Amino acid sequence: MDQPIFRLINISKTFPGVRALSNIDFDLMPGEIHCICGENGAGKSTLIKILSGAYQPDPGGAIEFEGRKRTLTPRLAIELGIQTIYQEHNIFPHLSVTENIFAGLEVMQGLKVDRNTMRQKAAEALDYLHCSFSPDAIAGELSSSERKLVELAKAVIFQRKIVILDEPTASFSSSEIDMLLEVIRKIVATGIAVVYISHHLDEVFRLDGRVTVLRDGVKVMTVNASDITEEELVRSMVGRDVSAFYSRVYYPKGDVALEARGLHGNGVRNISFKAYRGQCLGFAGMVGSGRSELMTLLMGGAKKTGGEVLVDGQEADFNRPSDAIRRKFCYITEDRQQTGLFLKHSIARNSIVANLVNMKDFLISPKHDYAVGERYIQELGTKAENADVVVGNLSGGNQQKVVLAKWFNTQGDIYIFDEPTRGIDVGAKQEIYQIMMELLRQGKCILMVSSDMPEIVSMSDHVIVMKGGQIAGELAREDISEESILNYSIGGSQK
Amino acid sequence: MTSPEKKSIGIFKKNSELQTVVTITVVFIVGVVLYQMINSLINGGTVVYPTFLYPSNILNIMQQVSAVGIMALGMTAIMLTGSIDLSIGMMTSLVAIFIAKAVMDWAISPAMAVIYAVLICVGLELVMGSIISWLNVESFIITLGGMIACRGIALLISNSQEVAMRQNLAWFKSNLVDLFNPEGIKVFGLKLNFPYYVILFFILTAITWAMLKYTKFGRRIYAVGNNPQAAFLSGINVKFTRLMAFVFNGVCVGVGATMQLVRVNTGIITVGQNVEIDVIAAVVIGGVAMSGGKGNVLGAFIGAILMGTITNAMTIMRIQFEWQYLVKGLIIIAAVAGGAASEILRARKSRKGRLAIGQPEHRLQQSANTGSIPPKKGNEQ
Repeated sequence: MDQPIFRLINISKTFPGVRALSNIDFDLMPGEIHCICGENGAGKSTLIKILSGAYQPDPGGAIEFEGRKRTLTPRLAIELGIQTIYQEHNIFPHLSVTENIFAGLEVMQGLKVDRNTMRQKAAEALDYLHCSFSPDAIAGELSSSERKLVELAKAVIFQRKIVILDEPTASFSSSEIDMLLEVIRKIVATGIAVVYISHHLDEVFRLDGRVTVLRDGVKVMTVNASDITEEELVRSMVGRDVSAFYSRVYYPKGDVALEARGLHGNGVRNISFKAYRGQCLGFAGMVGSGRSELMTLLMGGAKKTGGEVLVDGQEADFNRPSDAIRRKFCYITEDRQQTGLFLKHSIARNSIVANLVNMKDFLISPKHDYAVGERYIQELGTKAENADVVVGNLSGGNQQKVVLAKWFNTQGDIYIFDEPTRGIDVGAKQEIYQIMMELLRQGKCILMVSSDMPEIVSMSDHVIVMKGGQIAGELAREDISEESILNYSIGGSQK
Repeated sequence: MTSPEKKSIGIFKKNSELQTVVTITVVFIVGVVLYQMINSLINGGTVVYPTFLYPSNILNIMQQVSAVGIMALGMTAIMLTGSIDLSIGMMTSLVAIFIAKAVMDWAISPAMAVIYAVLICVGLELVMGSIISWLNVESFIITLGGMIACRGIALLISNSQEVAMRQNLAWFKSNLVDLFNPEGIKVFGLKLNFPYYVILFFILTAITWAMLKYTKFGRRIYAVGNNPQAAFLSGINVKFTRLMAFVFNGVCVGVGATMQLVRVNTGIITVGQNVEIDVIAAVVIGGVAMSGGKGNVLGAFIGAILMGTITNAMTIMRIQFEWQYLVKGLIIIAAVAGGAASEILRARKSRKGRLAIGQPEHRLQQSANTGSIPPKKGNEQ
């Protein structure tokens, strides 16, 4: 037990403009459970990708496997016995469990596939892991927790040395989580080392292995889970430099612009809140906690199954986004390129598109588009030669400004910002914040979803923390801190 | 900042798709003219004005391309929304047979028969378009099914036989020139023939152009084709917009198919054979992206004329028709590949330009991150 099977020594990873990991040391003992914790963007995913060979670290560090220096590639990682189980399933839905386990690694008998041996081996592994489904079951018909078990059975059969699980319990029920943790303990008993990434701290404590905490790409510590309390763990994940925060002006609270009462649908449950004019209501939570789903629901982009939405005190029932736009909603989506912009089109065309709903004219001249485009280039300080520039050629920050232009042109009142500054450089970030402040000054209402901790802490007047599609807690302005948000979003055991 | 007026002078700069098709058309025409002139020089000893450029021949080309051109307008709308319609060829046959049958056998007046035919096309497109947009299935497959089904209907109502007409649709062929001079105008000893349906082609092109450029509907079509998700969240009814493009196409096919029948005067299944290929080729050569959201009706208009010009020129030059397919095919490939290549070159150029502009900004960002010049120790370790 004293010789680590896998070691990362002084590993860094730099992407253009971002340092995702800095000088990380990490080791993994045979047969241990090693959890990795950190906020969104702390570098967990990058670390996994380095462990699985998908990313090459920057020069200067070293990776040792069983004492030998290695340059990992995804293929070599698999040959060495490292299995990565990603969040999304790597499964062939039309094949049976046995066929899935042995896909590409069939047991051969001469030229013939030895079905009986394969089935027997699969059955033994499933039995060992106490799985309730048969090796002949069709993989596509299994639940998402059972599919995880199929992948774990694979690790047992092929006697893998390391299994990396990336947020395996997202969307699991509590009994499914119990089952998965039980299976992980069994796997570890066979000598396999497990790297476990989860947003749920209680799972980390229940697995009771070692914990490595990352923050902003830096390793904070590695400790035994039994030597630390949940509060201490949360505190180690937060604690940023003051300069990372934006100091903002506060404006007086106006009337209630938007109210949700017991809203259900699109994967969120029982959501109630009030959003005021002149205020920014932040939605915090881990990725996948249902925040964007809630915003799409508010915008009429998904079907509401219960509850009601009130705009300026009047009930509003939106069937599609155009209804919401008519009631002065603006939705700056999370993914500009996928759901916000028309990349092949000019700035002018992008700027007018959302306001088509409100326009009464039958004929619209391209000059009108151009004038609107130019106006917002000036107002927002977009760096573009003119409004005929194709949006796909702009940088991230300038693309975001075009998205803003699209919505400002609708003269909206209620602004939903989903990850307003994702993938935007520092300078443009400040500009976006200033624009948001100007909206608040004008008495508009902002709902902001953000996974960027400093952003949500410094920009929000009030924070709603979501977890598993529900509201886990609410924080008034004086209570907003990284720690209080994390307590609700990943701690959760106290409430 | 450049003013829009100044910008609009370089219309080709804005429309790379138009640039490609115009270049190819000009090169082709110049090539044919040079060939004819050199040919006359060698054979006759003097340079003769090329027959290809006779006004009568140019009008002749227009007559040949009208039907395909009108259908290319509808196909442009459909392809801009990111769909495709393969059924238009067989729908043309169906319309031709229906009108011929209606006028000859069912005693329906030619005018009413044409109106019914357009309504039938709109109805068929409405059905296919509804299935495609509401069930969100591949237009390729649904319209492929539509194509086969149309062929079936057409053969059924004609009992697999041809239906000859007796110039019942001659009105469409009336010569505009005769209005000015009943004797007819002759240039180079050949009578000019400018039938009404060519004017119809021009008018419909202008209407489609204006619809795509100056109306809300046009903007929605482009938005849906470029990014349906973003269009939905921007308040556009994506399904309805897609459906309306099919309905518009129905009108174009109805009219275009009637023109096709006017020219051949016989309702027969071969009338529409391969028409969809010619139409899609014209639209694609014109620079409309198969993926949707990009392109222009003028491009499709020129594309249709180019296709007709190729056929015409090669017939004039007495080149075997087998060669026409080869040349047409190569020109389609050249047009699309050339357009893509120029796009890549342009993107590379603008990226270089952007990097040069972006550099000081980037430096600013770095210093904001670290507060000072970054230490260089990472590399040495």
